[in-house]
Amino acid sequence: MDTKTKIKEVLVKLLRVKPEELKDDVTLESGIGVDSTEMVETVIALEKTFNTKLSPKEITKASTINDIEKIVNSKIGG
Amino acid sequence: MKGRCGVDKIAVTGIGVVAPSGIGRRQFWANIKSGRSFIKKITRFDASRYPSHIAGQIDDLEKYSHVSERLLKKIDAFSHMALIASEMSLQDAGIEIAQEDPNQVGIFLGNAIGGWLYAETELRDLYIEGREGVSPYMASAWFPAAPQGQISIYYGIKGFSKTVVADRASSLMAIGYAAKTLNKNRLNMILAGGMEAPVTPYALLCCNTYGGLSKDNAHPESAYRPFDKKRSGMVIGEGAGIVVMEPVARAKARSANISAYISGYGTSCDGVNRINPASDGKELSRAINLALTDAKISKDEIDYISLDGAAIDIWDNSEAAAIKNVFGTRSKDIPISCPKSMFGNLLGASGAMDLIVTIQAMEHNLVPPTVNLDEPSPNGLNYVTKEAKPSEIKKALIISRGRGGINSVLVVEKA
Repeated sequence: MDTKTKIKEVLVKLLRVKPEELKDDVTLESGIGVDSTEMVETVIALEKTFNTKLSPKEITKASTINDIEKIVNSKIGG
Repeated sequence: MKGRCGVDKIAVTGIGVVAPSGIGRRQFWANIKSGRSFIKKITRFDASRYPSHIAGQIDDLEKYSHVSERLLKKIDAFSHMALIASEMSLQDAGIEIAQEDPNQVGIFLGNAIGGWLYAETELRDLYIEGREGVSPYMASAWFPAAPQGQISIYYGIKGFSKTVVADRASSLMAIGYAAKTLNKNRLNMILAGGMEAPVTPYALLCCNTYGGLSKDNAHPESAYRPFDKKRSGMVIGEGAGIVVMEPVARAKARSANISAYISGYGTSCDGVNRINPASDGKELSRAINLALTDAKISKDEIDYISLDGAAIDIWDNSEAAAIKNVFGTRSKDIPISCPKSMFGNLLGASGAMDLIVTIQAMEHNLVPPTVNLDEPSPNGLNYVTKEAKPSEIKKALIISRGRGGINSVLVVEKA
């Protein structure tokens, strides 16, 4: 499974959103209206999924799924 | 509507109820008037080793829920129940919050113990998994004012609001303050009431160690026996009761269906013991008199009293003493009852449930029964026992009390 698919799986499971609500190039805030607490959860869940350290400064409400994919890949060498 | 001294009565125009006896005002009232008990053995978790393991539970909440799964994972059951009761009361009142000035809408709720199902699960995770095992929503899910916050977010309500924590008197006190706030013209309307979710392992434990619960687990339906000679303590229940309150002039201007009027409120403290009330009921008498004075009515006009009914000797005896003290020889004539023996004591939400029962009793000219009351104790009062009794109720008193000697009394008038 590629990084982007895994990220989307995390978001669907964690935030209980529908897969079709997740657009690659729309920020999490404007796309699915994440709040700051959901972002904390999201970062922790992504860290667990990819077994890497991520900073809440790197992944924010203003990140798109494409942005997150790039950051995660840069950490795990994907 | 102006009272004799210019104090406005407040209209109740919407009712939302989530209770073991039913979800929605019609189902709830149908079961209350039939005298059906909804106290059962706790099935949500293994409670068999608790001294008291019976309760009024709600098993089909999801069926009535309009709350998204995304929100549900962030909130405790007590907020969930409050959201459902709020939606029902707004629908019943025919109010679209989007059409209201959000700065002029308030939320006044009562709660005694907070959201423990969420809290204890997360505390377990803290000790098993460490800090990262705890949901970040824990911080905003467990505390008594969480439902107020969730309702305000859900509807975009921005007006003056508050949550009252005063043990079992919490929600009646919240309703009393809501009436006073509307009287000061500070808001256009208020969602008022209370919610409680004590059927969880830790909350049930705390209720048990308090020592006020019935241990008659073998007979759940007859265990809660307020004002009965064989009383053995109360039985807890879960749920939420929320009403829409607004000034009478506004309710009439929008041709709302007015269910009842709230016309008076009184409160006092016994100041004698950290748990028990004063045995003489004098301060409760004073709270009753304050409520009657506030309502500008004579005690002779009261034709129904909804009892607190903790089913503990000192509580029931002092409540009866207070009624006798205020009403004198009339106390043997005024119909009184404690319908919560059918669905459990909802602690901080109990007063709101009593208000909802009383309003429907007024609408149907039927005094609700006190199930399990076989041998009245103390004597000398006109208890309505096994079956609902036809009787017109024009002006009623509701009594709600909390540990440490908190007394609150509301006067309700027929619409």
